[in-house]
Amino acid sequence: MLHIVKTEWLKIQKYRAFWWVMAITALTYPGINYMGLAIYNQAGGKDNKQRDLVKMLVGNPFSFPETWHTTAYFSSWFIFIPAIVVIMLITNEYTYKTNRQNIIDGWSRKDFMVAKLMDVIMLSALVTVLYAVVALSIGLSNSPAEKADTKWQQAYYIGLFALQSFSQLSLAFLTGFLFRKSFIALAVFSFYFIIAEPVAVKVLKYKYHNEIGRFFPREISDRLLPVPAFVGKFNEDAYKASLNEIQYHVYYTLILLAITWMFCFWLNNRRDL
Amino acid sequence: MSVLSLQGISKSYGRIRALDNLSFDVPEGCIFGVLGPNGSGKTTLLSIVLDVLKADNGQFRWFGNPGSPEQRKKIGSLLETPNFYHYLSAANNLKITHSISGRGGATEIDHVLQKVSLYERRNSRFSSYSLGMKQRLAVAAALLGNPSVLVLDEPTNGLDPVGIAEIRELMLELNRNGHTIIMASHLLDEVEKVCTHVAILKKGTLLTTGPVEDILVDEDIIEISAANPEALVAAMKKWGIAQSVSVKDNRVYLVFPKGTARPDEINRYCFSQGIVLEHLVIKKKRLEAKFFELTNN
Repeated sequence: MLHIVKTEWLKIQKYRAFWWVMAITALTYPGINYMGLAIYNQAGGKDNKQRDLVKMLVGNPFSFPETWHTTAYFSSWFIFIPAIVVIMLITNEYTYKTNRQNIIDGWSRKDFMVAKLMDVIMLSALVTVLYAVVALSIGLSNSPAEKADTKWQQAYYIGLFALQSFSQLSLAFLTGFLFRKSFIALAVFSFYFIIAEPVAVKVLKYKYHNEIGRFFPREISDRLLPVPAFVGKFNEDAYKASLNEIQYHVYYTLILLAITWMFCFWLNNRRDL
Repeated sequence: MSVLSLQGISKSYGRIRALDNLSFDVPEGCIFGVLGPNGSGKTTLLSIVLDVLKADNGQFRWFGNPGSPEQRKKIGSLLETPNFYHYLSAANNLKITHSISGRGGATEIDHVLQKVSLYERRNSRFSSYSLGMKQRLAVAAALLGNPSVLVLDEPTNGLDPVGIAEIRELMLELNRNGHTIIMASHLLDEVEKVCTHVAILKKGTLLTTGPVEDILVDEDIIEISAANPEALVAAMKKWGIAQSVSVKDNRVYLVFPKGTARPDEINRYCFSQGIVLEHLVIKKKRLEAKFFELTNN
């Protein structure tokens, strides 16, 4: 296992595109959250009374423990950036035919897929650490002293964020694995992820009053991170329901992940390279 | 002992039969050429024994055992095209080869790059290489760790005449040191110069296999000439010792069953008939001629 990880590191460490995209990811996570914090701080304008009123209505989404949830939600919007890296890492292998060379040089087909699984796990871990650092630093700088005890209360969102990232990056991997060409895979993934599925879920829900959309590949893990508490205040019942659904979507996500990777391993073992 | 043994290998792409019940053995210590026109199944065959393609039927054995990743690690291979990460340098690409196969090491990477004359460009990106340099790097990767068996698919592709000669010398040197080399090629001249054994394929079927000498020499040909070719032909036909007598460019060709030609007797007979030979040579059939004969091209 260690030699597989080492080999993948050799492929990645001098891959400039990887570092560029990771740098963009590293900027977007703090960027979106600090932007949210700035908007929150300026809400209500210069009038102290109005500001207090806003804060009374929405609470403080950027202080502990809520910052874990709020930051996870905003950061999750940008999962498509590391998804680009995942798609590039797998489609590069097909473009350069190095997937064949890896097998010729002595990897089994299973080793190759384990290597790619490790890439996705590593990227999921990286973005999760990035999110956790942003959430912690925002929480530390925006929480009153009396909230120190609640610091880790919602830290389970780290696990939910990691699971969602892993699930959605696995879908990106599946797209690259099936389509093999980077431009086609990126186009298909972007269209499905940003347009097709969200529209389909909303149309099914609001036009046909059908909740089947919650079992769509992206939506299954999207529901691990519901809207933050301050948004939930506009519809308390729906918010509570979405929080209750999380536990079920953890299981659905795990099942989807198992199906996705089992299918990839199975297909890679069967098809000609 | 056979390094590689194929038994009934078949492979189809839809309705096209790429390989049809192929069986042959590759003896240890030989340079084995897999020959065939374009589309004869050479690369498909090598892809199957390297587990890149799955055979529909049949099996193959490396060193008497079914193919496995552990065995492939011991084989240096170049299949079809040089496959490397375009954004990495030659040295970094070979580090990946080493990491996967376990063959070679840091100092040996430098050594193989020197051997294929790429050492000066070892830190340049693969994408900046010419076709010939890419091919050299693929040969370097195959040589890494000094594997006892090499599988080379069209190893001189894209190389200039000097490069072709270098690779040829390299293969002969490796073979002298006991390495077994399996190479696919359609360059008959190349194969004839280096291979000890061949298998000739056509449309996925095996036409013949064995030592090059046995395949080329299925009859003896003696080439003779004299001042009066007509008299020479008449004398040979009258004698009736040869299977056939033909003339081309004032040279007379006598064909005998394999192993029966006696040049000394021919010389003696001609002299007894008052004909002095100016030229007498035992001709070997060229692989090219044999190849065309077998493949009906």
